[in-house]
Amino acid sequence: MPLLSFLDREKSVAQPGFSRWLVPPAALAIHLSIGQAYAFSVFKIPLTQLLGVGKPLPQDWKQTQIAWIFSLAIVILGLSAATFGKWLEAAGPRKAMFASAVCFAAGFYISCLGVLSHQLWLLYLGYGVVGGTGLGLGYISPVSTLIKWFPDRPGLATGMAIMGFGGGAMIGSPLAIKLMAYFRTPTDLGVGKTFLVMGTLYFVFMMFGVFTVRVPREGWKPEGWTPPANQSAMITTRNVEVNAAFATPQFWLLWVVLCTNVTAGIGIIEQASPMIQELFKGRIGPIAAGGFVGLLSLFNMGGRFFWSSVSDYIGRKPTYFIFFALGALLYFFLPQTGANHLNNVKLFVAIAAVLLSMYGGGFATIPAYLRDMFGTHHVSAIHGRLLTAWSTAGVLGPVLVNYMREYQLQHGADKASAYQGVLHVMAGLLVAGFIANLLVRPVAEKHWLAERNV
Amino acid sequence: MSENSSKSSPALILFAWLLVGLPLGWGVYNTLLSSMKLFQTPAAAAIRPASPTK
Repeated sequence: MPLLSFLDREKSVAQPGFSRWLVPPAALAIHLSIGQAYAFSVFKIPLTQLLGVGKPLPQDWKQTQIAWIFSLAIVILGLSAATFGKWLEAAGPRKAMFASAVCFAAGFYISCLGVLSHQLWLLYLGYGVVGGTGLGLGYISPVSTLIKWFPDRPGLATGMAIMGFGGGAMIGSPLAIKLMAYFRTPTDLGVGKTFLVMGTLYFVFMMFGVFTVRVPREGWKPEGWTPPANQSAMITTRNVEVNAAFATPQFWLLWVVLCTNVTAGIGIIEQASPMIQELFKGRIGPIAAGGFVGLLSLFNMGGRFFWSSVSDYIGRKPTYFIFFALGALLYFFLPQTGANHLNNVKLFVAIAAVLLSMYGGGFATIPAYLRDMFGTHHVSAIHGRLLTAWSTAGVLGPVLVNYMREYQLQHGADKASAYQGVLHVMAGLLVAGFIANLLVRPVAEKHWLAERNV
Repeated sequence: MSENSSKSSPALILFAWLLVGLPLGWGVYNTLLSSMKLFQTPAAAAIRPASPTK
């Protein structure tokens, strides 16, 4: 379509003089928008009170029905990232970002129709399926572009974008609350109008990313930078095609690395508020626990930038060794800080904050690890397929935590000590991740793409 | 090949960073305010149980 030809990859090649420092804000515009997904919980209560306007009626939707909207969006995120990754590499970041913005905004619009007509399937289709597709496309769209612009600091570059996903919830949550308060009337909670406005605002914001992003021209490299002569064997100078990468043990080892790291992190996120209240019964109430959750989200976001930047200096494999070794120790020790043992709130909060920073760091460092293993050529597509580990962990983590805790409570454990078993299992998972990371070796030559095909 | 002609304006780069930095800063500020509640539990010491642990 000629009207949309400006989206073509060749139209987005940077002219000489284009500053690479314009690319991270473009990527952030996308990730800050789609990160709103993690703030979807602010709609949970209002969506169960649409007909009763402030108090649920029998015909209103139930919380369990509403929970599926977010779950569906995250599953579709993984599936769309895995499916469209290869298309993205050919189409270029601008087209992918545009498609992401259209899907993400359309998801809000369809959901608005669902709210106005009180038809839940429209929210599943809108926010869940269409919006979820936008999430997947948006998440991976800037990755390979950033890595190509920052060959000297790939961890920092991708960490900045993925930090945006963590920060998106911090914007999306207060924005939604303020909009719902603004549109609320005695007969309407204002959810539909909030969806409409948010869809439009995010679309406009994402367009900034679409129009700003550029791909470097062939052979470009940062001024004054030359690739190090004695590069680590763990950083390839070759490329591996996405389907070939999918068949390597390295891909699956990194899949385990991401899955275990995320599952363990979810172990804390899932239970953060009740955990601190039950471990310090009488000292920490619901309001302070809400503050604890906010603090964790700050460390989750900051860890994405910090650890991915650190990985540029110490290497990807050592960075994950820190996550797994230190993480396992801290998870093992965390229950000892509770009221039954050391009774130290500050120590508990400090340990949980470090653990959450490493959870975020695991997300943000994986694109650079993939680049080190498989080269830059198909790194977005490979990253897309690896995100199925996130989808798996998103199911595995809560199931593990909830079922194990339930089992312990049924067998006579009190609420505080029931966390001990759960957190020790998380420590065990990190040991499994440590072993997977230990087994990662450079990709065999037979998987390399011939230079003429790059 | 490297950047050598008609460089991107520093004002444009600043504008781009402000455009994403301001909403992010607003979000971080709101979250920080919320986090402060963890440290604002004046009754905590008063209701602290006489714990046998040290």
